Amino acid sequence: MIAVTRRRPELGLLFWVGALGVTGSVAVAAAEVAGFRPQQLVIPVTFIVIAFALHLFLAARGIRGDQLLLPIAAALTAIGLVLVQRLASNLLVQQLSWTLIAAGAFAATILIPRDLTALSRFKWTWALLGVLLLLSPLLPVIGREVNGARIWVGLGTVTFEPWEAVKLLLVIFFAAYLEEFREVLSQTQRRFGPIPVPPLPYFGPIVAMWAIAMVVMVFERDLGATLLFLGIFLAMLYLATGEAFYTLIGILLLLVGGYFAYHAFGHVAARVDVWLHPFAEDVRFDSGYQLVQGLFALANGGLFGAGLGNGMPDRIPVVWSDFVFDAFAEEVGFAGALALLALYLLFVYRGMLIALRAPTAFLQLLAAGLSFIVAVQTLVIVGGNARLIPLTGITLPFVAYGGSSLVTNWMLVALLIRVSDLTARVKGTP
Amino acid sequence: MTRSIAANIRGLTLTIALAFLVTSIGVGYWTLVSGEELSADPFNPRLVAAIRDRPRGIITDAANNKLAESVQTANGYKRVYADKTLAHVTGYASFQFGASGIEAAYAESLIGQDPADPLSQWRARYLRERVPPGSVMLGINQAVQQAAVAALGNRRGAIVAIDPRNGAILASASWPQYDANLISDPATEDAAWKQVNEDPNKPLINRVTQGLYPPGSTFKIITGAAAIENGVDPNAKVRVDDPWQADKSWGTYFVRSSSRAHGDYTMADGYRLSENIYFAKIGLQIGGPKIAEYAQRFGIGAPSRCDITAAKGQVSRTGALDRPTLIADTAYGQGELLVTPLQMALVAATIGMGGVMPTPHYANEVRDAEGHALRVIAPGPSGQVINPETARALTTMLVGAVEGPGAFAFAAKIAGVHVAGKTGSAENPSGAPHGWFVGFAPAEAPTVAVAILLENSPKGGEDAAPLGGRVMAAALGK
Amino acid sequence: MEITFAVLLWGVRIAFLLLLYLFLLRAFGVLHRALVAERAVDGATRALGVLIVERNAGHAPRVGERFPLRASTSIGRDAGNDVPLSDEAASARHAVLELRDGDWWIEDLGSTNGTVVNGTRIERAERLHFGDELAIGRIALRLEKGAG
Repeated sequence: MIAVTRRRPELGLLFWVGALGVTGSVAVAAAEVAGFRPQQLVIPVTFIVIAFALHLFLAARGIRGDQLLLPIAAALTAIGLVLVQRLASNLLVQQLSWTLIAAGAFAATILIPRDLTALSRFKWTWALLGVLLLLSPLLPVIGREVNGARIWVGLGTVTFEPWEAVKLLLVIFFAAYLEEFREVLSQTQRRFGPIPVPPLPYFGPIVAMWAIAMVVMVFERDLGATLLFLGIFLAMLYLATGEAFYTLIGILLLLVGGYFAYHAFGHVAARVDVWLHPFAEDVRFDSGYQLVQGLFALANGGLFGAGLGNGMPDRIPVVWSDFVFDAFAEEVGFAGALALLALYLLFVYRGMLIALRAPTAFLQLLAAGLSFIVAVQTLVIVGGNARLIPLTGITLPFVAYGGSSLVTNWMLVALLIRVSDLTARVKGTP
Repeated sequence: MTRSIAANIRGLTLTIALAFLVTSIGVGYWTLVSGEELSADPFNPRLVAAIRDRPRGIITDAANNKLAESVQTANGYKRVYADKTLAHVTGYASFQFGASGIEAAYAESLIGQDPADPLSQWRARYLRERVPPGSVMLGINQAVQQAAVAALGNRRGAIVAIDPRNGAILASASWPQYDANLISDPATEDAAWKQVNEDPNKPLINRVTQGLYPPGSTFKIITGAAAIENGVDPNAKVRVDDPWQADKSWGTYFVRSSSRAHGDYTMADGYRLSENIYFAKIGLQIGGPKIAEYAQRFGIGAPSRCDITAAKGQVSRTGALDRPTLIADTAYGQGELLVTPLQMALVAATIGMGGVMPTPHYANEVRDAEGHALRVIAPGPSGQVINPETARALTTMLVGAVEGPGAFAFAAKIAGVHVAGKTGSAENPSGAPHGWFVGFAPAEAPTVAVAILLENSPKGGEDAAPLGGRVMAAALGK
Repeated sequence: MEITFAVLLWGVRIAFLLLLYLFLLRAFGVLHRALVAERAVDGATRALGVLIVERNAGHAPRVGERFPLRASTSIGRDAGNDVPLSDEAASARHAVLELRDGDWWIEDLGSTNGTVVNGTRIERAERLHFGDELAIGRIALRLEKGAG
């Protein structure tokens, strides 16, 4: 019989999440012309019910360990629902549906596989599955091209992006592979002065896997995913080996590749030009329009924001998926934006702490890699929104509108909770 | 031995934390610091507010004729402009492309949040109460404006007329024009925007305030003023022999006289016959720094105080006049000088007003919805640029430049009124010289000062002078 | 009415920001407490314990045998347990001996015949100290410090 765990801190935090979601929804609804109608509370309340249901699920299964990740993910998702209500209310029901599916995926990931180490045993299966998923948008019938990027797969009316799932598979594969690689590395280490010489037969497959991912994304013209995969690869390599040299080479490759991409691909050049001169006369009304409006939204935010429902986000094209952060910052100000960033950092920090305590190398690499995914996604999109780096198509985890992203990120949370649970069982924390 | 994974995790976490810090600083910059910088940008959200969703204030001319108003359509409000010739002044107001001209400069007043009424700003931001906007009244005089537009016709250039006593701009015409209605109408804005931006004649530029041209002989007014106040006797005769150079170091460069003159010239002659060599000589006599100083004092190269942004112009590329050939060239109005027609009109006005330069402004008054004046725009004079005696002396000489025997600016004469003025034919790299005329009337107590600029006009200043006469006549009610 | 509505609306907006920060702070608090708990366990697990067989029923387990304890040690008749006891009176999965926050706890997993600590049958879970005696079925085990 599985002992039920109490998980009180998690329960307490979820009440706060509930309050946050309801307050936000009320504020947005009341600011609308139609005013606040009580039936609009259905959405946030439904989500809170889902969140509590997940909590009860975890408690009933006797899941031990971390109690912070679920509330933070729930808080971010709740904020996301408030923002979708504000920015694209016609998509609200759809986003809630995806949240429900994400909750289901979360529960499923908690339940299976029964033994997490099975993940490491089937690494080549995951690699193959990942490649297939990556290639699927290129298939004739089900592949869809949207805004110049061929990264979507559609089944009927439902579309999703397979590369979101691939990022998880990639981390699992790298974690499993590098666990073995690490052992080999510690045995056959040769160096030319400060430069490590990796044993090539072992280095080969991992570089090949990474190269396949990169090439496919370049082919499918998704700048953001390409950047993400490169980042994941470098991070996992650093986590496993600790060699800063590989990271340096990787960054060099990025710059060189970026240089060639700038000259070879029009859309890359356009993005970089917008980043460098968004206010130039010939750019600001054309390709730079979105970013310029986003920056104005930030400037309008000030310290405490214009107030929920009081900003002017409809000036920004496709604001609900590409520029949620700017729209949020306009209405809650620097104070609110900082709190949001702090939530993400707390999430990542907790994930890294889970990784530190994990009992095996595979689990350490897995947890750290998963936390890194959330960190890098957040940094890349917020950086793009604030003109620190060129804009990419990556969306803000949990908050931005987008089904595939929501589902895979909740699965990510489930995996981290499982690692924490396993650690707790072995080491004996409640 | 390889590092422990735990150590690597710690290193990676630190890197991530630093990256978050940098990102927060970046976000902080845009939310907290950049607000000032962006507030002047036409895309500022407060400026584009109330273009589509609410009616915007009315823009009128001095006689309260409506120049711009909001009209309700199926999708909200759009701006409609009654007088197409004032498109450069009123500007356009488009939800997509922002605003320009008066629509941008007085945007706050036009959405009911004029700075003179701070309470309205608070109420709008925090209580969401919108004060119904009033109107912005410009100083444009319909009769003078129509005369200016008719005078300019289809020739590229600009005409501006100001009241030298208070700086109100009575007429402002710039060609080529564009139709602001097309840009402010959501149905046509995309096509219209593309068209005006791709037009090589650049119709969007308000040539009165933003057109930069070499002033040609009209700059001699400034040279003369500088000379008189720095020890040059205007009655002293200076030998003029065409062509002229100071010494052999000038190589193949000579100052040419437009009338192949050989004789002794006083300053009055120099103005009447627009003699380049005279002014080159006295320019060298007082020196480059003095000329640059007086040019600055007259506003060239200095930021404009007009309520619509105007170009600064320049005395030279570096701001200094260091080479003798450059000094000579600049003294008679070429060199590297670049000025706007507005600046030259102000020069004329300054002379007419005894050396006091007015501050130009398009708008005269901001009114509330009931028609009461909220704010009167009367910035007062910019300062005393030259002595009243200098101004009087120059006025006399400039009257001579219009009325005297053989005067180049004779076509600017108006019956029954003494007109002071100066023509100019500015050499420029794009072909025929630009034709200038600046002047004011009546000379003894002027109520109007004009600047005419015709781009690439075959007879230069001679083409511009009659236009000056017509516009000033209209202003005087003739 | 306008003013009241506006004040209420701004109140809700401010409340949202406040709730966001309060949540953040509480989350920090939860993290901090979790870290403290984890560190305590990590510290304590260095000094794990051992179960020494005092009395058996039949041949197995041998009297004096030492079972080194993990952070969570399962006890029962089933061979898959960390401490397998071949006694009919013991249930397949009889009890689990766990380290919680540095303290040892014995938890009965709903066994048929119950678990006895120092002569008293326990309700469900009981805290143990070094030197305490556990009785499961007819086998008695003593909890002691050490590595085994």
